[in-house]
Amino acid sequence: MVFPTLQFILFFAVVLAVNTALMPPADRAEGGWRQGGRKAFLIAASYVFYAAWDWRFCLLMAGVSLVAWIGGGAARHPDRGRLARALSITLLLGVLAVFKYFGFFLLSLQQLLDGTALARDLGWMRIVLPVGISFYTFQAISYVMDASRGDVPPRRNPFDVALYISFFPQLVAGPIVRAKDFLPQIDRPYPVDAAMRAGAVVLILSGLFKKMVVANYLSVLLVDPVFAFPQGQGQLEAAVAVLGYGIQIYCDFSGYSDIAIGIALLLGYRFNRNFNQPYRAVGLSDFWRRWHISLSSWIRDYLYIPLGGNRGGPLRRIAVVMTTMTLAGFWHGAGWPFLIWGALHGVGLVVDRLVRSLRAVRPLRLLAMPATLLFVLALWIPFRAGTIETAGAVVAALTRAQGAAPVALSPQIWTLIALGLAMNWLPLAWRDRTERGVAAIPAAGQALLLAAGTLLCFALAQDGTAPFIYFQF
Amino acid sequence: MSAYTVFLMTLWLSLFVIWIFSGEQFLDLMFAMPNAGPIDDVVLTGVVGLEEARASWGAPDLFRMLRDALHGLTGLGG
Repeated sequence: MVFPTLQFILFFAVVLAVNTALMPPADRAEGGWRQGGRKAFLIAASYVFYAAWDWRFCLLMAGVSLVAWIGGGAARHPDRGRLARALSITLLLGVLAVFKYFGFFLLSLQQLLDGTALARDLGWMRIVLPVGISFYTFQAISYVMDASRGDVPPRRNPFDVALYISFFPQLVAGPIVRAKDFLPQIDRPYPVDAAMRAGAVVLILSGLFKKMVVANYLSVLLVDPVFAFPQGQGQLEAAVAVLGYGIQIYCDFSGYSDIAIGIALLLGYRFNRNFNQPYRAVGLSDFWRRWHISLSSWIRDYLYIPLGGNRGGPLRRIAVVMTTMTLAGFWHGAGWPFLIWGALHGVGLVVDRLVRSLRAVRPLRLLAMPATLLFVLALWIPFRAGTIETAGAVVAALTRAQGAAPVALSPQIWTLIALGLAMNWLPLAWRDRTERGVAAIPAAGQALLLAAGTLLCFALAQDGTAPFIYFQF
Repeated sequence: MSAYTVFLMTLWLSLFVIWIFSGEQFLDLMFAMPNAGPIDDVVLTGVVGLEEARASWGAPDLFRMLRDALHGLTGLGG
């Protein structure tokens, strides 16, 4: 079930109504049957949401939740805590490895054996990738780690952990919510006041517009045709397509995050922001503080710092950055282009540190933003291409004056690019002002605004449903 | 009635109005959904009944008209 579909709207309308009926009255403390009922209902709704892809994935998610609950519960044990933590995290990473990376290793093995006497077709051994597995496995690890560090008290009730891991707004493509941020809200969701409703309306509408209009049309009109046939493109078409993909992936993923945060707000839960105008970054480390913030901070806290972080000599620090970013690339997808993408971001971060002092010089500081943007856009090429051959063909097109069968760069494409850039560059104060304006509207007006805006996005969108890019991760 | 209840009821009402004026979109969606097993027949019978009632009111497909107008205006969608 994908957010911008009629199917999801019907699902969410029912969930919203039942969740509201199970909220405690404003003058009464949380607890009792309403609290238990709401948790049980949200778990059931989340599993229905996930089962819409394949009901068998639900068994996997339940297993991951159980491992996290046991591991988190035992992680503070004075004798066996370390062992419990190590075992549960190994198990969780093992699940991720099997379901996400087994196919990649199989394909690599097959390519290695091709042309030898041992050549075999190993395709029958491939495993279907459960949607969102990278996200909920990371949340499960977050619970075990937070519980073992004492950041969050281990939960006695396994259904609390089940809800934290399966909560449908962020289940399949994040944001990766931390246990210490979410679990306290399970016991006491926020009362949905005018400001929360306004935030939800603005986020949901901006997310729908980013995804259904900007991202989907850029994909169909520009990015897909260019990456499908780079040999026919000239440098202008290739360069615009690379920029277009940068905007597409930003609008696609930040659009999903906006909708997820918005619908969680309507249910009474607050998630942290996942994007903060990433293409305004002045340096690569700044970019990673603005792009997919929930993943970058997860990687910083649970991978980079445990690996050594900023400690040790320069060589050790370089090795830690490179390892972290290569693994981050591999998290995005099981394939060489993603590994290369991650490793090159690692190289970029190392260089970023070396030249950081140069940003104090004013003319060079002015170059920091365009240089970072160009570097990030260039690295989207292998990310989007999927294969090293396609990435090479796109790079070759960037050096070719004219292509034999170039994609027509229509006014619609330029308009979508301008809109996408505007979504990234408009001052955040504008959005805050819009939210304050919407908060001042009566509740019925807010609902009508949400309904009318959603209707307009659906009317403007193309036929059919385009999945979100990050679902595959 | 709390402001949030008003918000939710208005949303539901909007959804109802949109359904009335959206042609057979809802019917198409229900038939495109995965089979609901033992309750599939019941659900589809209910949906078809609702759709027949809606069709008998003769409401125009305003959604389709809005969609065509927006696509024509922007050059998108075709």
